[in-house]
Amino acid sequence: MANVIVNRVKEFLRRFPPFSFLSEPLLLSVAREVEVQFYAKGDFLFHKDDLPRKHFFIVKEGSIHLTEKREGKSVVLEFCDEGDVFGVLALLGKRPYILDACAAEDSLVYGIPVSVFEKILEENQRVSLYFAAGFASGQVVVRTDLSQSQKARKLFSLPSQDNGLLIFTGQSDLNYSKNVLTCEVGISVGEAAKMMKEKDVSSIIITDTSKFPIGIITDKDIRNRLVAEGKNFDIPVESIMTQPVMTMQENSGFSTLYLAMIKNRLHHLIITADGTDKSPITGILSDHDILLSQGNSPSVIIHALLNTLDVKEMAKLRDKAEILLSYYLENEVAMDFVANIISEINDLIIKRAILIAKEKHDPAHPAEKNTKFCFLSLGSEGREEQLLRTDLDNALVFEDVPTERLADVKSYFLLLAEEVIEILLACGFHPCPADMMANNPRWCLPLSEWKGQFSSWILSPNQEALMHATIFFDFRAIAGQKDLAEALSFHIYDQINEKKIFLNFFAKNALLNPPPLGFFRDFIVEKTGEHRDKFDIKLRAMMPLADAARLLLLSHRVVGINNTFRRFEKLAELEPQHESLFLEAGKAYEILMRMRALEGFKSQGSGRYIAPGSLGKLQRQLLKNTFAPIDEIQKIIRVRFQVDYLLS
Amino acid sequence: MGFWNLWRREIGPKTAFVSDYEKGFKKRIPNIRAIEHLDFVVLDTETTGLNPAEDFIVSFGAVKVRGYAIQVESALEYYLDTPKKGREAIKVHEILYHYETYPIRDFGRDVLQYLGNSIVVGHHIGFDVAMLEKTFKPFGLSRLQNPILDTLNLAVRLEKGPHYDIRGAKPNEYSLDSICMRYQIPLDDRHTAPGDAFLTAQLLLKLLKLAESKGIRDFEALMR
Repeated sequence: MANVIVNRVKEFLRRFPPFSFLSEPLLLSVAREVEVQFYAKGDFLFHKDDLPRKHFFIVKEGSIHLTEKREGKSVVLEFCDEGDVFGVLALLGKRPYILDACAAEDSLVYGIPVSVFEKILEENQRVSLYFAAGFASGQVVVRTDLSQSQKARKLFSLPSQDNGLLIFTGQSDLNYSKNVLTCEVGISVGEAAKMMKEKDVSSIIITDTSKFPIGIITDKDIRNRLVAEGKNFDIPVESIMTQPVMTMQENSGFSTLYLAMIKNRLHHLIITADGTDKSPITGILSDHDILLSQGNSPSVIIHALLNTLDVKEMAKLRDKAEILLSYYLENEVAMDFVANIISEINDLIIKRAILIAKEKHDPAHPAEKNTKFCFLSLGSEGREEQLLRTDLDNALVFEDVPTERLADVKSYFLLLAEEVIEILLACGFHPCPADMMANNPRWCLPLSEWKGQFSSWILSPNQEALMHATIFFDFRAIAGQKDLAEALSFHIYDQINEKKIFLNFFAKNALLNPPPLGFFRDFIVEKTGEHRDKFDIKLRAMMPLADAARLLLLSHRVVGINNTFRRFEKLAELEPQHESLFLEAGKAYEILMRMRALEGFKSQGSGRYIAPGSLGKLQRQLLKNTFAPIDEIQKIIRVRFQVDYLLS
Repeated sequence: MGFWNLWRREIGPKTAFVSDYEKGFKKRIPNIRAIEHLDFVVLDTETTGLNPAEDFIVSFGAVKVRGYAIQVESALEYYLDTPKKGREAIKVHEILYHYETYPIRDFGRDVLQYLGNSIVVGHHIGFDVAMLEKTFKPFGLSRLQNPILDTLNLAVRLEKGPHYDIRGAKPNEYSLDSICMRYQIPLDDRHTAPGDAFLTAQLLLKLLKLAESKGIRDFEALMR
């Protein structure tokens, strides 16, 4: 169907290179994907060091300035007006932007998704030459003649693998201070503090008479061990210093230094000539130096999250975490580490969101604001297994209040939850299609009503109750009063103890998901719908394992382990006769998590559906191998919980 | 009993796609949702005349807006067959007979699915809504449940303040043509439904930015 709007966009693009090189059908396919964006004067399209957006840009009307900050002032490096293309370098190189882009007047800009263009670059040499020329001449692609492009061609290769996200960046980046403030033992704390003030530093190294380091005093030590203790500042430095100090050699390599600090929870590390505390000091490395050298490490992201209450900033940081994640996955970093880091970041975002929400709504709710509550994550996030920003599942529990206050308190918490959910959505998470979220009145309840809810699921385990149990039993306290969540956990165990038959129903439910392989050992794929001929890795491979781990651990009455592969580790410990099976199941689960997340990156989705044909032979085999423990474990469950004797 | 009696019937039995559409409104849009996270559908219809009771939709164009950006990929247009060929409409739109007309029932199903629970936007949108409601009546729809935003009212509110009486404006001061000219939007493809929808969408982007500068940042403030 001819489309007036697409044609309008196409007719504009056609007038400017590189679009002018495209054939009619190609141009049409590009025009179809365009996003028309409007920026008011003074709006920024992107900032230096931002991660590349999905689009590069061509100015439709108005003008955009590409600027750089030099000594605090922004200097315009390029003026882009109608037909100028910019923002390409960052996209093709998958690197952060190197300039700021700001609308110099109200401007209409067409955003062209790079994914569409990558294909065209491969097919159309003239276009790739055009971009290569832009690469060669520097930062911005502007309208240019093709003549200068020849030499640049070899520069244009596949997007660089170097995404600047190494866990440990090169040593050369590490700047530590070589001017170390020291004092000898025997001088007073007061004098030491004076020296620190003069040099404007937060720490001082205490040395013995031969200038070898023996201890350190920081701002914090003065606060905690002197002022707070009510001591006199005439006392000698050695009486409040932290000792011994950790010393290392400068050329130990960044990762060694970093790990030493992390392992020993150190804020400062002293560099000495030979690495021991029996040699002269050559420098001091603080955790702050490390932060500066680590543009993109988890600690930087976490630190930055702790220092912002700006939702847009939080969203950007979560995007950064996603890139970190893809780096980890591709480099086979251990899954429990990866899952831990990402959960930590997700949890922190929720905590900050709650803080923002409370700051906004508390002033208007003086009577409700001090009610104890606990924000719970459910499902995969509750199990610390949510790597990609898939659906949110969460709930809220608050302490019991007198009946006449209940309505007010509940509406206050619904208000908070709504704010929190909106912030999470703005940070790129997706809403739960079944509405299992804390802003749903059904899932924002006082403790007693939650207990009643869990009891009713346990006492009458119908299909819906069991479905809810699988999601809600994996709750994990994120923020607020954790004892509320614990009270709930204990209630569940008590109830199950009273009604043991529940576990048998729960077991039957755990076996409901269909086996992943058909009779001929081929993948069972979806027969109909959007995902036809694809393999549902979540439903057919991951859920059976997660369900089994939850059930078995529940039957052992173990509290506090939520993560599926850690549950299997615990089970291996509890049931030595099945040790190897459970360890294998845990491993399988890790592999499945990794595959799903990688698929999610590839398809820009949840990664749930995988086309078996798109997997390499090795990967296909790997995936099939993960199924072996599922079968074994299901057999054990069938026998142990006498599932076949249950009436359905 | 010709096929065209369909048009005249009162609200028909509720079809599955109408029920699906209505289910989408179980959850309201939170008042605090920021404008950049709201979904808009900007639409325009061209009709055989100006009386919703007697006239018919000839063509329909729409495009989605989210995050201060128009998603060209989402552009939609339909040409419908009608029992009445309005001489006036033909003169204005120069659509005499479009060879790719679309069955009314499929049109209803597709459009309702496309609208979802987005905010419906248009210039003089009241008329388009009335036309759409009349068209969907036979399939069991009593009224469109989407929040409705009129770019005409929004422009007046932003330019003259919330209490301005539109009757005080000069004739045509707020016609799509003159507003677009005021906001420097080139008048391409005027008087085609998708063309006008695209113009209106560009106008919406500019008005939303203007609104933002006046402190209108969330759903509640926008729809007030």
